[in-house]
Amino acid sequence: MTTMPQEERVRFTADASTSRWVVARPWVKVVAVVMIASFFAFPLYWVVSMSFKPRPEWNPPGKVYWAPQSPTIDNYTNLLGLKSTEDSVFATQRSASALTPFKNSIILSVGGTLLALFAGIVTAYGIARFRAGGGLLPFQILQLRMFPPVAIIIPLLFFYVAIKLYDTYWGVIILYGAITFPFVVWLMRSFFQDVPREISEAAIVDGCTQWGAFFKAVLPQVKGGLAATGLFVFILNWSDFLIAKVMTTDVHSTAPVYLQSLQGGASGNEYGLQAALACLLILPPAIFGLAIQRYLVRGLTFGAIKR
Amino acid sequence: MAGIRLENITKRFGAITALDGVSFEVADGEFFAILGPPGAGKTTTLRTIVGLEKPDEGDVYLGGERVTETYPGDRDIAIVFQNLALYPDRTVFKNLAFPLKQQKIAKGEIEERVRATARTLRIEHLLERRPAKLSGGERQRVALGRAIVREPEAYLLDEPISALDALLRLEMRTELKRLQRDVGRTMIYVTHDQVEAMSMADRILVLREGVVQQVGAPAEIYHRPANRFVATVVGSPPMNFLRATASWEEGTLRVSHPRFQVAAAAAHLRERLPEGAACLVAVRPEDVRVELAGEGMPATIYATEPLGGETIVDLNLDNRVVKAIASPALALSEDQEVRVHFEPRRLHLFAESGDALLSAAGEDVFAFTLAT
Repeated sequence: MTTMPQEERVRFTADASTSRWVVARPWVKVVAVVMIASFFAFPLYWVVSMSFKPRPEWNPPGKVYWAPQSPTIDNYTNLLGLKSTEDSVFATQRSASALTPFKNSIILSVGGTLLALFAGIVTAYGIARFRAGGGLLPFQILQLRMFPPVAIIIPLLFFYVAIKLYDTYWGVIILYGAITFPFVVWLMRSFFQDVPREISEAAIVDGCTQWGAFFKAVLPQVKGGLAATGLFVFILNWSDFLIAKVMTTDVHSTAPVYLQSLQGGASGNEYGLQAALACLLILPPAIFGLAIQRYLVRGLTFGAIKR
Repeated sequence: MAGIRLENITKRFGAITALDGVSFEVADGEFFAILGPPGAGKTTTLRTIVGLEKPDEGDVYLGGERVTETYPGDRDIAIVFQNLALYPDRTVFKNLAFPLKQQKIAKGEIEERVRATARTLRIEHLLERRPAKLSGGERQRVALGRAIVREPEAYLLDEPISALDALLRLEMRTELKRLQRDVGRTMIYVTHDQVEAMSMADRILVLREGVVQQVGAPAEIYHRPANRFVATVVGSPPMNFLRATASWEEGTLRVSHPRFQVAAAAAHLRERLPEGAACLVAVRPEDVRVELAGEGMPATIYATEPLGGETIVDLNLDNRVVKAIASPALALSEDQEVRVHFEPRRLHLFAESGDALLSAAGEDVFAFTLAT
């Protein structure tokens, strides 16, 4: 390969016609970033500010409150059932606080995610390392995602009732796991393919079983990928509405379904409560994301092998 | 302590036969090199010995015990992969401790053995670092350390130093040889570099397209190559081959080249050549003597490559290139007319198929005369 002398390259980039641009660019950049960021952050701001507004400020006719005039945490306390509300209409409208749906959401999302991760990484490793199932298996797995879940949800409902999985934790966990399983397989397969085969073989020669080599030598190499995949799948499950709505009643229902119950009917739209719940719903994925942030950085395998 | 024996190993990958009836035996404590070009089946041979590949036919014996079906971890053989395969998420210490941990060895003893190994390889100061923070040579040592620390029956090394730079390679070559002597265990060393094989090994196996070409001590491989392939693979610059014709004269084979004749007794030949058959007379560059004048074969110089200590000369001998090694003291220039001699006690005779018929190897078996 021939390399150009250093001076030559410098002269090419320092073109006189671009110099004015170079000076102006930082300002242009800042303004553009602020505008774009505000545009995307505004809905989030609106939800957060709404969650602290008292009822009169929610949706007054002919008026917009850009910020809470008399901030309150009533929306949160009402939602969590910490305070009995004076609003009788509101009190009868809802059966219970948001605590149970929130707990259900966590159980079902975490359960579904763990199930998808376990089944998915084992399948992905089999495909990546041993070509399990032949060349078509990855696409066959992907086919599971080629139709929307709503297309099969009604027959599945009858099926679930028949096998007594309707309105159970396990029923929803299995569905969540099954629906997100293809994502895990496809994401993890590519991460496993990046791990040199010799690393697991070295572990086997060093005395590990095939499973031991997988857990001790291979899995630590894909920590970052595993964390990212887990977060992605968790968010998918966390934001599910359809399956929880169809497959559960109040006892096992989730927060997104509960969110929907806060609108319409005799009480009208409970904007403040909806906003408060939305804010709470953001927290688990956000905390999860922050917790695994350091694993999301790729490049852990750098230097493991000679290239 | 144990020798290794492969019996008639055949390994196929789909339509490709990677190993075809490979048999050889490595003695206990021997430094054994497997030499061959890329794709010859060297790595597959190692992987079969350690148990990562299962042969389609044949058996592997370790210390006289058949281990063909034995799980790799139970064979007590360590392997250093070409890409080293260090565990990137673990420190050097943990990399070295890993195989010991699998054997459920007590913590104190692990610590002791890891430190001792690190001392041998002079990587003590690196124990707390991760592989990504090491240089190529240091990683190499860590990979070796992970093999040594187990104190296995045998070590298998797959092109362990081929990725290092030239100077480091030279250094590691002598260190590896010394290490093998100190440790005293069987070592099988795979390489495509003939210099590594020649300089380090007690014996060399030359492999080509999954077929064993020759097994022997370096000197034997060098002076009595079994065929043209082996003759070309070892030695640099490679051996010269000159086409000639065979004829018989009462139990004596006469091989005629436009510039010379070579005669040998039939009893010495490994195979009989038919009358009028084509064959190859071969000579290594260092056994070609170049003189400015005298009795030798006339040739012209095509090119010279002065290397300082010696000069490689490309000669045009009867319209064929013959490489010679000459003294730099000789004033040689292109298109110059010179005289050339072959050392008769270093000549080789090959059949047209490439099989060796006779190698002089220092003995007076060839009679060499100039053509008139």
